[in-house]
Amino acid sequence: MEATTNTSDPLISVRDLSVSFRLDRRTTFEAVTSVSFDVPRNATVALVGESGSGKSVTALALLGLLPRENSIVDAKSRIMFGGRNLAQLSFREMQDVRGAEISMIFQEPMTSLNPVFTVGFQIEEALRLHMGITGAKARRRAIEVLAEVGIPEPDRRIDMYPSQMSGGQQQRVMIAMAIACEPKLLIADEPTTALDVTIQKQILDLISALQKRRQMSVLFITHDLAVVGEIADQVIVMRNGEIREQGPAKQIFEQPQDTYTRALLQCRPQLDRRPQRLPVIEDFMGSGDGPGDIPDRVRGVSAGDAIVLRVRDLGKSFYSREGLFGRREFKAVRNVSFDLPKGKTLGLVGESGSGKTTVGLTLMRLHEATTGEALFEGRDILGMSAKEFLQYKRRIQIIFQNPYASLNPRFIVGQILTEPMEIHGIGSSAQERTELAFELLAKVGLPEVSFYKYPHEFSGGQRQRIAIARCLTLKPDILICDESVSALDVSVQAQVLNLLGDLQAEFGLSYIFISHDLAVVKYISDQIMVMNDGAIVEIGNSDDVYRNPREEYTQRLLASIPKGWQGSRATA
Amino acid sequence: MSDLALKPPAASRRVIPHTVSPGLWTLAWRRLKTDSVAMVSMAIVIAFVVLMILSGLGLVARDWAREVGVNYAPPPFVGAPELPGTPGVENKVDAPAVPSAPTPGSAFESTVVDPIGDVISELRAESGRGGKGAPGATAASPGAPAAPSTEGGFVDPLADVMKEIEAQKSAAAAPSTTVDPLADVMKDIQAGKGAGPAADQRRATLPFGADKWGRDVIAKTIKGSETSIFVGLAAAIVATFIGTVLGALAGYYGRWVDDALNWFYSVFSSIPYLLLILAVAAVLQHKGTLTIVLILGLTGWTGVFRLIRAEYLKHKGREYVQAADAIGASNARRMFRHIFPNVSHVVLVQLSILVVAFIKSEVILSYLGFGVPVDVVSWGSMLNEAQNELLLGKWWQLVAAGGTMAVLVTAFSLFTDALRDALDPRLKGTAGH
Amino acid sequence: MWAYIVRRLWQMLPTLLGVVLLVFVLFNLFGGDPAYVLAGKISNPEQIDNIRRQLGVDQPYYVQLGIFLKQIVTADFGASWSTNEQVSQILVTRLPPSLTVLVPLLFLETFIAIGLALAVAYVRGSLTDRAVMMVCTVGLSISILVYIIVFQYVFAYKLGWFPVQGWGNSLWENLTRYALLPIIIALVVSIAPNLRLFRTFVLDEINQDYVRTARAKGVGENRIMWVHVLRNASIPIITHVMSALPSLLIGAFLLERFFSIPGIGREVILAVERSDFPVIKALTVYVAIATMVVNLLADLMYKAVDPRVQLK
Repeated sequence: MEATTNTSDPLISVRDLSVSFRLDRRTTFEAVTSVSFDVPRNATVALVGESGSGKSVTALALLGLLPRENSIVDAKSRIMFGGRNLAQLSFREMQDVRGAEISMIFQEPMTSLNPVFTVGFQIEEALRLHMGITGAKARRRAIEVLAEVGIPEPDRRIDMYPSQMSGGQQQRVMIAMAIACEPKLLIADEPTTALDVTIQKQILDLISALQKRRQMSVLFITHDLAVVGEIADQVIVMRNGEIREQGPAKQIFEQPQDTYTRALLQCRPQLDRRPQRLPVIEDFMGSGDGPGDIPDRVRGVSAGDAIVLRVRDLGKSFYSREGLFGRREFKAVRNVSFDLPKGKTLGLVGESGSGKTTVGLTLMRLHEATTGEALFEGRDILGMSAKEFLQYKRRIQIIFQNPYASLNPRFIVGQILTEPMEIHGIGSSAQERTELAFELLAKVGLPEVSFYKYPHEFSGGQRQRIAIARCLTLKPDILICDESVSALDVSVQAQVLNLLGDLQAEFGLSYIFISHDLAVVKYISDQIMVMNDGAIVEIGNSDDVYRNPREEYTQRLLASIPKGWQGSRATA
Repeated sequence: MSDLALKPPAASRRVIPHTVSPGLWTLAWRRLKTDSVAMVSMAIVIAFVVLMILSGLGLVARDWAREVGVNYAPPPFVGAPELPGTPGVENKVDAPAVPSAPTPGSAFESTVVDPIGDVISELRAESGRGGKGAPGATAASPGAPAAPSTEGGFVDPLADVMKEIEAQKSAAAAPSTTVDPLADVMKDIQAGKGAGPAADQRRATLPFGADKWGRDVIAKTIKGSETSIFVGLAAAIVATFIGTVLGALAGYYGRWVDDALNWFYSVFSSIPYLLLILAVAAVLQHKGTLTIVLILGLTGWTGVFRLIRAEYLKHKGREYVQAADAIGASNARRMFRHIFPNVSHVVLVQLSILVVAFIKSEVILSYLGFGVPVDVVSWGSMLNEAQNELLLGKWWQLVAAGGTMAVLVTAFSLFTDALRDALDPRLKGTAGH
Repeated sequence: MWAYIVRRLWQMLPTLLGVVLLVFVLFNLFGGDPAYVLAGKISNPEQIDNIRRQLGVDQPYYVQLGIFLKQIVTADFGASWSTNEQVSQILVTRLPPSLTVLVPLLFLETFIAIGLALAVAYVRGSLTDRAVMMVCTVGLSISILVYIIVFQYVFAYKLGWFPVQGWGNSLWENLTRYALLPIIIALVVSIAPNLRLFRTFVLDEINQDYVRTARAKGVGENRIMWVHVLRNASIPIITHVMSALPSLLIGAFLLERFFSIPGIGREVILAVERSDFPVIKALTVYVAIATMVVNLLADLMYKAVDPRVQLK
């Protein structure tokens, strides 16, 4: 191909890309509408958008990886790369482009690697296909690439299967495979979303370093503006299949023109501020000038606060069978003690496997605790019989992470809301319970007709509101929020966080807020408890923990939080 | 939606204009309606079931055992019969439902026992004993249906199941009045010479021919459909019920309940299904439609168990069930109110797969003579007769029984696939086992 | 690995005990007194007395169960009630003919079905795919009896291409002459369900993320199907083929009967027809043991195919 040395000549140039999907015989759905953008040489471009924005579809369309059965790329679309229109290439011709000139990594490294072949086989396959390197030479090259992406002991790990590696290492292998044939463009589709925050930081650093060293371009797709703040040269913001705004990172972060971009930037809780309520997208989209300045809220606990739940020495072990008679103990939670003050929020942060979710489930007695006690109104709720516990059960409620899984798909919302009242004898008649359900729907901001609908007719945020309403039917004292906003888009996340704040103020609820997202926890919590390997690392008032982390682990965790746009880089 | 038992809010003071959203079944039905293959196959299945009910009530094909045509009367489009026997020949008594021509197997190798030989010799032995005890049986009027309302105290010496005495009686009735049921086809016809309805009452051709006793193949096929479909449906319901209940218990409770039921499952599943059926059939000497339903049902639940157990295991860990636990729902409530509606489509599809499987099994069992009693016609017993008839060039019974079964089973399978797609659109196009 | 095998064999004991109990309950409790069962079949009262004594019919059930267990362990089930042949002898002589038909059948049907399944899955959703699936559905709906009756009548009886039935003494003669038509019929009958099943297995894999990764690095569609997808799809395929193996042994009984092949399946039918309990009991127990062993083999084969499997 004829490569020009002109740096203003973009590496890939997309014009009028439209993609639609056939839903059934009659209906089609346009996922991407007339999208145009360039990826310059030797640069990182971030494609940012919430779910349904069409960002991933755009990326897949560049490589011709859309499902052939039901996707249609509009004939007018042009994807110019090296003088050729990729949209017009045959499937066979595209094979030579894929992996060699443009390669791609995905969100889930675990499922994206073939489980039954060694990582060496999978990297060597790419080398053989595009560079004709085989045998020992291919193996040597594969080891080199693995070393380059930071896999320790690459000559040993090359013979491992993906399942024998950690999530972070798997993603490194994916990257190694993608860069093995020295592509000019690397498309990274949410490559860090499934990873813990410390691993995310490492992978981001790796991609950024590789981009510079290899002088390649990266198209980085993400839902989280903060993630790309540190690495992107250019930012493209998409919504509902259209580009809302694009430009240099400095311009997007410092002077966003589009209302949606501005909303996205402000909906996400900031580490250094804690407004009374978070701005939501409607604040911007309606009038266009945003919510104005919202006063900050002060959070924290003092010694005089009434304690509603006292947890002492909580422990939970799981056992797996080992050998003929033996069993292996795995301590998911060890020696956890804390006090939950009334009307306050305790934030529980940690990476996956830290035991934070197990704490929540054990307090609900959804898991039986192995050791310890939890005193609620002076009674140990972990030690009492299941029958005795039933009357306390309604006082502690839980909201799960996945709003798609936590509502019974076969119940209408009305049933979901009246069932708990029925079980606990709240409300004297069905009519009264129905009335109460209507009131609660209004409280969580849903129209009354929702009563007659099934969960699948609602969006993720709306479903989380239904789940909250279900808890409220029981008038609980304590609400455990287990990653309750993690699966939601940023703009929706802000709405739900605001709702939780309002409800706390109105009903004096105490929250145990479990999340891996440090910014969100910081925003909502009075107190923060950091967990690692099943034990408490540090506990204290949230502002103190964030400002002066005492433990090394906490410091590392906080250092990994994506900082978003750094003004200092703007001068570079 | 009525099953959701929701109190209508009309009683509420505020009346909100609303429509309750369509549920799973309504949506599935809507999808199903747009699928023309599904609708055609469903119509065929319903037609068969209606036929089964009509036939069961005696509204159609009641006289299937009457010899309305000459022996081997062909369909009209084949031509006039040219049988060795003179036209108009008919049996003086009821036709035995058991064919007696030697199978190819017994013709070629002497160690091979005619599959029905034993049955027949048994019957012969019984008829010898039974005939004395039940003179009424021998007094069955000529030309009467093969399921006569024989009065009398004939008790099968081997019978200990009272409800099957009826079947035994009629089973014994046919051979007890026949001179020699083992006689081959020609002998049968010879023996048939004599008294009976006037010769001109028997037709030379029938719409789809006649069997060797001159019984209308169409009527026989209808009656056979009744048996086969009934056995398939009833056995599938029994097996699905057992599999679902055990699977739900094992998957939901886990621990020792799961261990115990899994042990039970592995015992049943480590014996090949057909061998298990045959072993049970060998032990239960008394054949009856209900027996075959029980044999199939009690041995065929393992597949449903495995699937439902896995489904319950999966759903038990789902957040909506944990949420139900959190609001204080009891175990029974979680199992039946919460989880069951979410797995009911699996149950339905399994039921429908089993119906097909059991219809096929019943046909094979009845063909071998281990299935329904000898006086009850089923597709399997028709195929047994048809095998010998084919050697004589009389293909119509084979085509009638085989073809009808193929039509029903094809329609049922296509309907099952469509049902699965409609209930779980994600699986569309991956319909498999 | 060996520790795993030993433990698995150890774990089979409860299941095996269950099978023994089931068979015992079926035949000794429900089956009743052999004198009663054999009435009209064996007229020699001495022989019946002999059988009754062997089984310990007059003794308590636990003694009978003990006798049964001893029979299993020593592989001595006595003589057949109808032919007086030793049961062990029957099993040993009936196995080779069955295997002569089954082994070629198993390989042919598995490989043909896998090839077709990959081809059909590759053109999934197309007219070809739907047509093949429709043919499979219709083909599956016709009773195996009809296939056997018609094929035997047309190809053996009318056209004379194959012997109508029979069995020879040499393996080669059996394989090339007598087993041919049964194998062809079995193929016609068994490819349709296997094709449908394997197609779902392949389709499940085609939609996995790793296939997208392979495409993204430029692997061709053929290689994706034959290397990446097939290796993964072979895991459920192995389960299915292995678990179908013992039923196949019995399932071929119709063919063995029609074609007078002196195999296990035909023996089962004969035994059931004659109420020859010792033969049925022995067959049931041993086939159940074989099933469990085959399941263990299947698990060991997984290990070879799927590195995620840990034999613990």
